[in-house]
Amino acid sequence: MSTSLADHLRSLPDESLAALLQLRPDLVVPVPADVAALAIRAQSRVSVSRALDGLDQFTLQIMDAARLTRDPADGTTSVDGVLALATAGPNPPAPTAVRAAVDRLRARFLLYGPDSALHLVGGIDEISPYPAGLGRPATELDPRTAALCADPAKLRRTLLSAPPSARAILDRLAAGPPVGSVPPGALQAPAVGADDDLPPDDTNGGAATGSPVRWLVDHRLLVRVSGGKGGTTGMVELPREIGLLLRRETGPLGPLSSSPPQVTATPREPKAADSAGAGQTMEVVRHTEALLEQLAAEPAPVLRSGGIGVRDLRRLVRATGLDESTAALLLEVAYAAGLTGELELPGAASRYGADQQVLPTAGYEVWRAGSLAQRWEQLARAWLTMTRQVGLVGQRDDRDRPITVLSAEAERAGAPAARQAVLGVLADLEPATAPSVDEVLALLDWRAPRRSRGRENAYREVLAEAATLGVTGLGALTSYGRLLLTEATASEDGATDDPLGLRADAEDGGSAVRALDTLLPAPVDHFLVQADLTVVVPGPPEPTLAVELETVAEPESAGGASVHRITTGSVRRALDAGYSADDLHELFRRRSRTPVPQGLTYLVDDVARKHGGLRIGSAGAYLRSDDEALLAEVLADRRVEALALRRLAPTVLVTPYQGGRLLSVLREAGYAPVAEDATGSTVLTRPKIRRAAARVSVASRALDPLATPRLPLPRLLGVVEQIRRGDAAARAARRAPAVVRGVTPDGPVPTHGHHDALAVLQQAVRDKALVWVGYVDAHGATASRLVRPVSLGAGYLRAEDERTEMLHTFALHRITAAVLEK
Amino acid sequence: MSGGPLIVQSDKTLLLEIDHPDAQACRMAIAPFAELERSPEHVHTYRLTPLGLWNARAAGHDAEGVVDALIKYSRYPVPHALLVDVAETMDRYGRLQLANDPAHGLVLRALDRVVLVEVAKSKKLAGMLGNRVDDDTIAVHPSERGRLKQALLKLGWPAEDLAGYVDGEAHPIELAEAGKDGGKPWTLRSYQREAVDSFWAGGSGVVVLPCGAGKTLVGAAAMAEAKATTLILVTNTVAGRQWKRELIARTSLTEEEIGEYSGERKEIRPVTIATYQVLTSRRGGAFTHLDLFGARDWGLVVYDEVHLLPAPIFRFTADLQARRRLGLTATLVREDGREGDVFSLIGPKRYDAPWKDIESQGWIAPAECVEVRVTLTDAERMSYATAEAEERYRMAATARTKLPVVKALVDRHPDEQTLVIGAYIDQLHQLGEYLDAPIVQGSTTNKERERLFDAFRSGSLRTLVISKVGNFSIDLPEAAVAIQVSGTFGSRQEEAQRLGRVLRPKADGRQAHFYTVVSRDTIDTEYAAHRQRFLAEQGYAYTIVDADDVLGPTLPTFD
Repeated sequence: MSTSLADHLRSLPDESLAALLQLRPDLVVPVPADVAALAIRAQSRVSVSRALDGLDQFTLQIMDAARLTRDPADGTTSVDGVLALATAGPNPPAPTAVRAAVDRLRARFLLYGPDSALHLVGGIDEISPYPAGLGRPATELDPRTAALCADPAKLRRTLLSAPPSARAILDRLAAGPPVGSVPPGALQAPAVGADDDLPPDDTNGGAATGSPVRWLVDHRLLVRVSGGKGGTTGMVELPREIGLLLRRETGPLGPLSSSPPQVTATPREPKAADSAGAGQTMEVVRHTEALLEQLAAEPAPVLRSGGIGVRDLRRLVRATGLDESTAALLLEVAYAAGLTGELELPGAASRYGADQQVLPTAGYEVWRAGSLAQRWEQLARAWLTMTRQVGLVGQRDDRDRPITVLSAEAERAGAPAARQAVLGVLADLEPATAPSVDEVLALLDWRAPRRSRGRENAYREVLAEAATLGVTGLGALTSYGRLLLTEATASEDGATDDPLGLRADAEDGGSAVRALDTLLPAPVDHFLVQADLTVVVPGPPEPTLAVELETVAEPESAGGASVHRITTGSVRRALDAGYSADDLHELFRRRSRTPVPQGLTYLVDDVARKHGGLRIGSAGAYLRSDDEALLAEVLADRRVEALALRRLAPTVLVTPYQGGRLLSVLREAGYAPVAEDATGSTVLTRPKIRRAAARVSVASRALDPLATPRLPLPRLLGVVEQIRRGDAAARAARRAPAVVRGVTPDGPVPTHGHHDALAVLQQAVRDKALVWVGYVDAHGATASRLVRPVSLGAGYLRAEDERTEMLHTFALHRITAAVLEK
Repeated sequence: MSGGPLIVQSDKTLLLEIDHPDAQACRMAIAPFAELERSPEHVHTYRLTPLGLWNARAAGHDAEGVVDALIKYSRYPVPHALLVDVAETMDRYGRLQLANDPAHGLVLRALDRVVLVEVAKSKKLAGMLGNRVDDDTIAVHPSERGRLKQALLKLGWPAEDLAGYVDGEAHPIELAEAGKDGGKPWTLRSYQREAVDSFWAGGSGVVVLPCGAGKTLVGAAAMAEAKATTLILVTNTVAGRQWKRELIARTSLTEEEIGEYSGERKEIRPVTIATYQVLTSRRGGAFTHLDLFGARDWGLVVYDEVHLLPAPIFRFTADLQARRRLGLTATLVREDGREGDVFSLIGPKRYDAPWKDIESQGWIAPAECVEVRVTLTDAERMSYATAEAEERYRMAATARTKLPVVKALVDRHPDEQTLVIGAYIDQLHQLGEYLDAPIVQGSTTNKERERLFDAFRSGSLRTLVISKVGNFSIDLPEAAVAIQVSGTFGSRQEEAQRLGRVLRPKADGRQAHFYTVVSRDTIDTEYAAHRQRFLAEQGYAYTIVDADDVLGPTLPTFD
């Protein structure tokens, strides 16, 4: 078959081959050596699977029709056959739609050959074994079932006689997939209706319950097939013929719909959708800036496992007033947009043990200087292309560890495709149509069923994120969002047309930026000052105004406009930053559209009056004297000029040099200064004489160091007494009984019972009596000890040795014998 | 982009530019659901709060209308998330209803079964709910009505109280608008009528009116509406007597029908005026005067100065949910932050008018607020600098340097009735001697107080020095100048109350003057700034002058 595809491909004009390669780009990675290799690759399972992934539900169903109508002999089918099968059911699709679908399949060479003898691409059966959710023909499964199917009247009778529970199973398998697993034992249980004394069952119309599967298998309607994991469950398959019979109502291919499901949502006012979205874009930009400012103030350490810890995320959340999911999204987007990055901390291990921090990059400064719309566009583009599924943040990974922001676990290569798919669905609708989430999911499912399976959650997240970022407004794609999407896809497609990137208009942004700009408020250069000392900027402030306000006022509320409050602290900050009182008055007069309230003028003057009332400087040493004339003399003295003395007060001079230098220079110049300490008392200095550490004279040593020391008599007597006492004790020491020692002069004693030993010990604990205990230590050596047992329990004996006054612990299983002291 | 007057902020504040031509229409549109927070001269600030949105929902506004109003008047695009939040918050109100079931009495009924299941599981409601009547209904002990509403509000599912009110013991009360005992005929002012109407329509709630705007009359009109026995709770005995005097003059009630329940007298009559103090007094740990609430079948309970309502009264009020409740106050700002309890137990705000609006209608006197800064002498500065932290405010506030300034201020208005208000008794005595004026303080007997107040009202006494007892509910309509020398630290509501002393409209429409004398460069100045915030937000612009401007000789003026 492959040769025939190769031949077919070989016979094609170049343009058709190029068209194929354009539709299935994976065929040229790497470039195949010849047409035969191309044909083999085009029929490989991976490539076919990819080609099918991009097809919509209807085209896939037509593909299934082609598979079902294959001639068993040569494996070919015809367009007419496909058409006949597709239009067999009720509500048949238009033949043109079917032909169009066939053409789509042929363009991808999933079908090829002339109309009357269509070949199917190889490998298709490996991908989905059950075309259109129908089982294999009965002849392939079981001869007896084949016999049943060959007799339509009998088959119909058997079907009609099926009990309701069995019929329900049949209907489910008929809708596809045609195989099901059977719980263990179900096939051993008596069949439904096996007239034994089975209990009646309400769910089965009051009839006695048995195993419906058993009934079906017994009646040859289902066939047992091998499969299933571990062999504990059996599998049953519904033969194709029976499946087709059961699908009388829906048509052999199941419900067919040649066009995508309709969206019934009422369209929004385009302006309202745009406006809500634009409002959201302002929020996003502002919140991102707030988050990054917070990060700049206190960079977040990177965890060892990557990402920002939950605690740091919570801190950011608290500081910015966002919720956690939004903060996570904005952090991810800002990172993707290159606004934040990691900084290595050389050698410094913080208390988190981290040596990297996340903080804003230099690009953040550039971003901040841009207009609102430009800033948003940067974020939105990063979002479109970032391979991150932010919805996973906060969930747990396979190892039950929480997935953190910016960590590798939230990386999903398919994320941009999911966004393209979802936004593509929205973009294909009429402008300002706001479909519900379920409608979007249904549309996605029709467009590429093989792709959307299992991705519902990701799609839902994309919709939520798009709303948060202001790409959609009131559930509809905004006009600028649409432009952004077309620009993004155009730059993708147009990469070949414009290899040098000449058309990338980075300067003023794309049309999306311009569209958004018209929706956003224009920057204002003035504010309104009120008597309660609040300053209202009725719109986004111009950059210069923003800088001025940042210095002279505290922000109170932000959004479309911003409210600031002027406080003593903020005025002081402005004065610290170099403004004078007059500058501030001038600033308020110039910027305010309303008369400056008297209270504000007074506040500024009042704070300015006190500002700088205390002065701070540093000095190495001071020189003070009650005699002002003397100080004046020192100050004027040319010999001490090098000290750079400065007069702070009539009685105080300071110098940047240390006190010692001051003292010596002044002394050299003939003055009589005295140093003083922190409490003001004078420090008297005398020349200090250097000395080594103290040593002892040898005179105190013994005369002859080699002679043994002679002891005085009392000490000698003490030594003698000690020796005698030890001797007596040794003599008095009794030996352990033979039983305990385990030996007698006559040879080994009979083994002392372990039970006896325990009994003796228990008695001894009660009586507080002394006991000889024999035991085997960890090295196998036997030993014995005279002890007074204290407690017995948990497999251990605790006992006190009176001689050494120590508490010993004996493992009971090591005790060989115990004998009471007599 | 429409050029509307409203700017919607993401922290849910709304900025209304009042010079905009559409400002008035916008204010009408957003007033039902947004709380007016500040009203300085150019930009008013409203806030969207869950309470406000639920209030609007209770009054029949829906989320769609709120969103429309925001979008219609907003100058800039309104963030999508905020609109969603508004709709979701409003949707939470009324999913649960408190209703009277003919068979089971008071029940909690759910329009959304899931919510009922959720709240029924909550530990906060343990013991308040009775048996499940059916899937959507749970019986509620009538005694738990108030606490249940409090708890549900905390859970974020405020219940709509449809259980109604008992009528109470009927008692004929009429407004004597034709004039009584030869008095002049009068009519209720338009805003007072509106306040009474919206209160009555809502059942229970709070009416917010500035000092001097005639809150007593709102109370009287509400009583005339209820025509039932009424319990009036006031802050102190003097205020109670004032209520009594006003009620006798303005309604059909006679002296015999009004009882006083205070430390001195314990009368229970169809209309009884009780003080917070006597109700919250305890003997042996038990509240001894609780019986008052059950003494009669009250049809209406009036709370004067709601912002001062002591905590125990909240607890009693939780048991009074079947009776109509009217709260009266000049400000809902509570220094203890229990605004939520006022909402759930007394009721939502039913009427509110910005001070400046009422002033511009001529119902309260226009006022000029001046802060006079006094420079302390070097000796005073020295002792202030070395004083203990807790002594500092007293030292700064009671500086002797203030005395000549106060004298100069009093002399500035030779023809006006002047009140000098302070917090420290020693200082008041100094002032009394210095100004040669009598003092009213906590220890002054009620009889003496009445005598002095009467003398002041009649004009025979021109200057009066009063302590904190003068903060509330003293009706001295002719006072045109108030000079405060010290106060309760940074209390905002005290400042508002004191200003209220001079806001009663004057016979000839004169301007009122409100002076605050503070010591420069001390904590006194900081507290003064804090105190002024409320009034500044209400649109009163303070002027700050130096004491030297007050003390110095008036400069000759040239035309």
